[in-house]
Amino acid sequence: MDNLDAARLQMAFTLIFHIVFACIGMVMPFFMVVAHKKWLNTKNPIYLTLTKSWQKGVAIFFVTGAVSGTALSFELGLLWPEFMKHAGPIIGMPFSLEGAAFFVEAIALGFYLYGWKKLPEKFHWFTGVIVGIAGVASGILVVSANGWMNAPSGFDYINGEFTNIDPIKALLNPGWFTQALHMTLAAFTATGFAVAGIHAYQIYKKRRVELHTKAFKIAITFGAIAAILQPLSGDLSAKDIAKRQPVKLAAMEAHYHTTKGAPLYIGGIVDNEKKEVSYKIEIPKALSFLAFGDFDAEVKGLNDFPDDVKPKNIALVHYAFQTMVGLGTLLMLAGILFFISLKKKAWLQKKRYWLFFFLLAPLGFLALEAGWIVTEVGRQPWIIHNVMKTKDAVTPVPGIIYSFYMYVILYSLLTMAVTWLMLRQIKFLNNSEIN
Amino acid sequence: MLYVVLFFLAFSLLLYILLAGADFGAGIIELFSSKQNRTVTKKTVYRVIGPVWEANHIWIIIVVVILWVGFPNFYNIIVVYLHIPLTLILLGITLRGVAFVFRHYDAYKDKTQLLYDWMFRVSSLVTPIFLGITFSGLISGDIIITDNLESTNFYEAYINPWLNVFSLSIGCFFTGICAFLASIMLIGEADTNERKVYVKKARIATITVITLGFIVLCIGYFEERVFISNFIKNPYSLTLIGFSALIIFPLLRSIKNQSRIKTRTLAGIQVVLILLAACVSLFPDLIITSNGSISILNTVATKEVIKTLGIALIIGGAIILPGLFHLLKSFKMIKLLER
Ligand code: HDD
Ligand code: HEM
Ligand code: HEM
Repeated sequence: MDNLDAARLQMAFTLIFHIVFACIGMVMPFFMVVAHKKWLNTKNPIYLTLTKSWQKGVAIFFVTGAVSGTALSFELGLLWPEFMKHAGPIIGMPFSLEGAAFFVEAIALGFYLYGWKKLPEKFHWFTGVIVGIAGVASGILVVSANGWMNAPSGFDYINGEFTNIDPIKALLNPGWFTQALHMTLAAFTATGFAVAGIHAYQIYKKRRVELHTKAFKIAITFGAIAAILQPLSGDLSAKDIAKRQPVKLAAMEAHYHTTKGAPLYIGGIVDNEKKEVSYKIEIPKALSFLAFGDFDAEVKGLNDFPDDVKPKNIALVHYAFQTMVGLGTLLMLAGILFFISLKKKAWLQKKRYWLFFFLLAPLGFLALEAGWIVTEVGRQPWIIHNVMKTKDAVTPVPGIIYSFYMYVILYSLLTMAVTWLMLRQIKFLNNSEIN
Repeated sequence: MLYVVLFFLAFSLLLYILLAGADFGAGIIELFSSKQNRTVTKKTVYRVIGPVWEANHIWIIIVVVILWVGFPNFYNIIVVYLHIPLTLILLGITLRGVAFVFRHYDAYKDKTQLLYDWMFRVSSLVTPIFLGITFSGLISGDIIITDNLESTNFYEAYINPWLNVFSLSIGCFFTGICAFLASIMLIGEADTNERKVYVKKARIATITVITLGFIVLCIGYFEERVFISNFIKNPYSLTLIGFSALIIFPLLRSIKNQSRIKTRTLAGIQVVLILLAACVSLFPDLIITSNGSISILNTVATKEVIKTLGIALIIGGAIILPGLFHLLKSFKMIKLLER
């Protein structure tokens, strides 16, 4: 494997890991403060137990998110020094603001975790809210940096030099809004369904049903609302891509031949040699409509783009996109199902209902990772769209594969450790008496 | 505006060294404690750094962000030539961070605590060594800057600049400073009957740091490191070091008297003086390579960028510093009230 591939693998691996912890660290505080608020309002001790248990979860995920994030902020330079040399001054703005947001988050978390019985009740609760808001703000800021890689702006690129740098304009690049919206919703969907699924399993097993039902409701409410909004925001993203990154759109759809009134493929096996997709379901004209809002619009196919500007791995992009959209539809339906079940109490007695939500637990995160693969692999061979190629950004230091191995081992162990800690947390919760 | 940015850079670095340094040092002290003291130390360490632990470590992120935004070429040299020790630092920071949190938030306190404890202590010792080594890589004078990296020998390009006796001695010196800071901090926090233990540790740490500092000077002198020969020729650096030497005696006395505020202030000043002395002799040529020095002032991004960065830092500082101050103060107050 050459150095470039090793660096790409390492970047992908560490980001895929970080995003899980970052999302949970970003969204769990909201569940926690809702439970906390209910405790303050009702003084029902179950809510206190739940708050304290979720708080431990937040602390554990926060630190894993923080250390993997610290590693990432070095890694951008360690793996892509040429990229950072030029992009640093341009997209430094979101990163410096993000630093500020992290700081606020860490300070607020310090107050929250250590403030029990020491700070005034209301203020203490409010510091929890700040943890959540600062987390989401920092998420939005990093994604805006990623938006810039897809839709570079705020500078002039003349003869290989970046001039007239305008960091504010780079921060508010054309990609930031759709991406940040979609990502924030994704974080809520993924975490909501994951947490709800874990509690659903406990109810399925009839362990402390009252407590887990309360937990389930809080988590799934966030998840369901986000999941229902997600396809709408996804549609906005797709329209955006159609305008700005037509190659990516073509790769997502494995759309080889330029056509007017292009059909949308569902499923199918991509053959990049023969440039066709077999065994697919075709919905006539749907792609043209989804991308441009016009059933007869022309959608440019991959064949009409030069080889050196399109991603090599079309199949991966296509499958990842299909996975995301498929899971998105499923989760949206599940969200609707949950709201219906609020009216139909009888469903809640059925074991099948809880099993269903348990099985959904990992799917939000699966969709989220798939979505990132679409965005990132679909952008190749560019690291900055139409400006800098990934291969020109990679570090000259040889042997990156070894640091990749190190991260694989380290993060695999961490994942196991955190999972194990969470299982112990749940066991402890089930065994502890109220109070 | 450039100097505002440089100020924030230095300020963040200083705070990282003082706060995260004390934080690393706490683990080192725990490592070098006898069995029965360890449990006490573990509790005290948790009480002291628990609430501010996260915040302490964000300073390094601020340093990194300032470097890559404001001084892209400077940052570029660090991440290319010191790739390996930086990766090892990240490994250390990761293991240490998770161990610290796991050992407190694990729902059951059983045998696994032992694993977390050792992970925390060992990574607390190893990480600052590599931090020191990385810094010394910049000033060792062994970095070979070239446009033709493919044809340079791997060892000479990526290993030799940081893996040598001089760098190792600086790594140990920095680790000593961490332990020193932590022991001073713990004196103020421990209960009256445990305080004696830390007083002893603080004294040992002080002596160790002085010895290690002396060793660094000697090695640097005999190996004819440019940094050291400039250092001992620079009148300002020497004056600053002279002051820091003078402080040692009142410091040792106040350690003995267990006076909290005075000890901390003196220890803080001591470290600031040492760092300042190093900075004064270096600035602005913060990187010394095998063929000359690189001035940080020659690696600055454009004016516009510096301006925006400066404004962002000022606004950020205005939000964060009061919050941080309040956090520290609140928990101080609470602790005092509890007494
Ligand atoms: C829970 C996760 C999740 C779910 C259910 C969906 N997505 Fe998504 N999607 C993401 C999570 C995600 C993501 C991981 O968050 C991405 C990657 C980058 C980004 O901004 O969001 C993303 C990117 C992304 C992109 C590429 C944006 C870009 O490259 O800039 C498009 C076109 C869509 N999505 C469209 C959809 C559609 C039409 C969905 C319909 C159901 C959908 N997504 C559901
Ligand atoms: C956390 C969610 C993210 C995931 C899961 C993710 C995933 C990936 C993947 C799979 C690749 C490899 C693409 C390839 O080489 O084929 C990649 C590359 C990269 N990503 Fe992301 N990404 C995420 C967010 C971000 C953000 C927010 C940024 C920047 C601010 C970013 C910057 C990069 C860079 C610099 C590369 C390497 C260059 C390249 O391959 O284009 N990523 N990422
Ligand atoms: C290249 C991309 C990225 C870099 C360089 C990066 C950097 C960082 C850093 C330095 C931290 C630690 C801050 C602390 O000490 O608290 C962190 C944590 C965090 N990151 Fe990332 N990050 C990246 C991608 C992302 C993405 C795509 C998201 C989500 C949308 C995200 C969301 C977060 C959040 C919410 C935290 C706070 C920690 C927590 O609450 O668990 N990051 N990240």
